[in-house]
Amino acid sequence: MRKFFSNQRLVMIVVILVLCFGLMGGSVALRNRRSTPPLIQQFGNDIVGFTSTVVAYPVNAFQSGVNSLSELTNAYQENRLLKKQVTELAQVKVRNQTLTEENKQLKKELKLNHSLTDYTTVTASVMTRTPSSWQNQLIINKGETSGVTKNMPVLSGSGLVGRISEVNKTNSKVELLSDSNEASNRFAIQISNKSGKTVNGIITGYQKSTGLLLMGHVTSKVKVTKGTKVITSGMGGVTPKGLYVGKVAKVSEDDYGLAKKIYIKPATNFNNINIVTVAELDS
Amino acid sequence: MYRLSKLKYVFPIGLLITFFLDGALSNVFSGAFFSYPYSMVSHLVLLWLVLGYFFENEVQIPLTGFAVVTGIAFDLYYSGILGLFMVLFPLIIGLTRAIGKYFSPTFLTAIMIYFIDLAVFEFANYLAYMIIGIAHASFSSFLLYTLAPTLALNLVYFVVLYFPISLLYAHYNVEPRS
Repeated sequence: MRKFFSNQRLVMIVVILVLCFGLMGGSVALRNRRSTPPLIQQFGNDIVGFTSTVVAYPVNAFQSGVNSLSELTNAYQENRLLKKQVTELAQVKVRNQTLTEENKQLKKELKLNHSLTDYTTVTASVMTRTPSSWQNQLIINKGETSGVTKNMPVLSGSGLVGRISEVNKTNSKVELLSDSNEASNRFAIQISNKSGKTVNGIITGYQKSTGLLLMGHVTSKVKVTKGTKVITSGMGGVTPKGLYVGKVAKVSEDDYGLAKKIYIKPATNFNNINIVTVAELDS
Repeated sequence: MYRLSKLKYVFPIGLLITFFLDGALSNVFSGAFFSYPYSMVSHLVLLWLVLGYFFENEVQIPLTGFAVVTGIAFDLYYSGILGLFMVLFPLIIGLTRAIGKYFSPTFLTAIMIYFIDLAVFEFANYLAYMIIGIAHASFSSFLLYTLAPTLALNLVYFVVLYFPISLLYAHYNVEPRS
């Protein structure tokens, strides 16, 4: 034992520990402040990302094979259900078109070039997920060259799933809303009830046990019922308005009885994401 | 000699594959691996490194060097937080060496040493992330919901992959005729 803790070794161990924590603290701070990581880190990530696709490809192919088999079994039922929806969809589509047209004209009248609902999208596929129980992070195959920048909201399926946390040249990292990092799920959202009144707020947390998003500190007296749709409000100027988040699952008083807590059921399952859409606000 | 052996090619290729498989499997089976409250973390790359020690025989694979490189890649690519895994991987190799030299390498001792490695690895990971404020779990829930499932998954990997990998080494671990 005495030999192990000789002076030289002890100094080495302390130096390594200090370096280690210095690096960790530094990279966490950098990540929060800078829009892109240092060039060397980006370069490394791009190279690793390229080789990653080679290995991930057969695995993903296997998964999609299994998925399509399981989908085949309930295709009939789904088909009947979807047929019903398709007939409605045609109407909605036409109406949507006329409304967009009208919206454009009205904006022209007002000389309004860009509003919060204008956004362009970048579609990316998920390469891998961080193998860690502390970080819910995906790595997607689009980066700076495709116009992705830090803090852009990321959608999958029908709803919001997270935001971009790190951008490299050809790939980037997405922090899911379920991540325990506090900055990852602070999105400005709004809930409009049937009578047209709106509640504004932000997502304040994620409840792991139920898989529900939390909207805390709601002091508004507006009545919100279960099943109301929740969308992003566009406040803050980073996230476009009108991205679908989920539906209200339940409304309860907070711990002190002064404000309300609204639980939101996310529209997408965070544990089954293959294709994502990154939304970029036009400005 | 590592430089003369065919393992010179086989070992790095296996390292690459296991490294990326960790991420790919975590993504594909995320529903199973991270279903609340349990989270199983796949550590195939650690398995490959540790088995490298057990099967290297006379061929001295520069494991520490490979572990550092793997750790740096892991930090950069997967976590985005530098400094943890680049130290943790070599540390685990050192730990395996330190314990392993007292035992003759059999399946049973190997799996027990790997068990210790995994526990130390996960615990160090938890501790470090706790200190810099990324993990927010109490120690008991870490034990129950992260460490136990992770150990289970990775020991299954070990049992399944031990013999195939040993055959692989037996096949390639032959000195070329000079």
